[in-house]
Amino acid sequence: MEPSGADESLAQLVRPFLDRKRPLQRASVEEDHPVAAGGVRAYAMTGGRSLARGVLEFETMLRSTGSGREALTAMKFERAEILRLCQADPQSVAELAALLRVPIGVVRVVAADLVSEGMLESFQPSANVADDVLLITRLIAGVRSL
Amino acid sequence: MSVVSETPNRPFSTGPIPVKIVIAGGFGAGKTTFVGALSDISPLTTEAAMTSFGEGVDDRGDVGTKTTTTVAMDFGRVAVDDAIVLYLFGTPGQDRFGFMWNDLMQGALGAVVLVDSRRIEDSFPALDYFESRSVPFVVAVNRFGGQMFHTVDEVREALSISSHVPVVSTDARGRVAVKETVLSLLDVVLQRALAKARTN
Repeated sequence: MEPSGADESLAQLVRPFLDRKRPLQRASVEEDHPVAAGGVRAYAMTGGRSLARGVLEFETMLRSTGSGREALTAMKFERAEILRLCQADPQSVAELAALLRVPIGVVRVVAADLVSEGMLESFQPSANVADDVLLITRLIAGVRSL
Repeated sequence: MSVVSETPNRPFSTGPIPVKIVIAGGFGAGKTTFVGALSDISPLTTEAAMTSFGEGVDDRGDVGTKTTTTVAMDFGRVAVDDAIVLYLFGTPGQDRFGFMWNDLMQGALGAVVLVDSRRIEDSFPALDYFESRSVPFVVAVNRFGGQMFHTVDEVREALSISSHVPVVSTDARGRVAVKETVLSLLDVVLQRALAKARTN
């Protein structure tokens, strides 16, 4: 029996592609889930079309957490693949989509689920990155020395 | 000299900091080559499937019906330092892909509009998009390894690009030229951030 119980067994019956078309089922499953959803779950429920906080951008980088590594063997399909690819080094949403040969929207939704379940941690700059003088200055110095 | 030492409050050691710029332009303008010239990895291709309503810009002629379009994007990544990872996304410049740019531009620092000077009209949709949304951008005329069919000034005039937008010449095949082009964009981004910081 996998650690996440009923939620997991249901999720495995549905390919992540199809998952997006079943927002209501996913939402009701989520109510039983012990992990706080935050903004990411809300985004997943909208089928990848929300600009709410917690959105995974194309460049958002993901890394497996300890519980993600533990749950890996119980996972299937894209969920397992994503966790596996993010084990060693962080990977971006776009890279995962390219490596798995699935549309980027699929990775965004599946990975957002994994983030909300605590199996992936996500890294992305703040929403106002374009105003971040220090970060931009550091970026310029870095690019110049490439 | 070290910029890193000037930012002690930033928890860079906690994980990577991905940032993104977008390389736009028409087919054949050299976007993927440009991305590959700077990228640490061979450019990867990913698909973004989008549902949209045919607005008369779709080739298939099924105007008014709901269609799903798949758009291929090429991208690369550069490890800029021990934390910052710069992603470069090359995206098609056609009108009918405009609806996906909101998604792609979310969180982007800015854009390079790559221009093939033989077909400058291919860059119109990208220019219109970035101008109308006040996205920082530079126009880079790809000289394809030496050949320039028009001067930078001619391109600026032909595209009626306002004087505050840099128009530079570049060579998508050359790492140094691509780096300089990216730096010219980042300078625009920095100047804008500084101006905004002053007014606050």
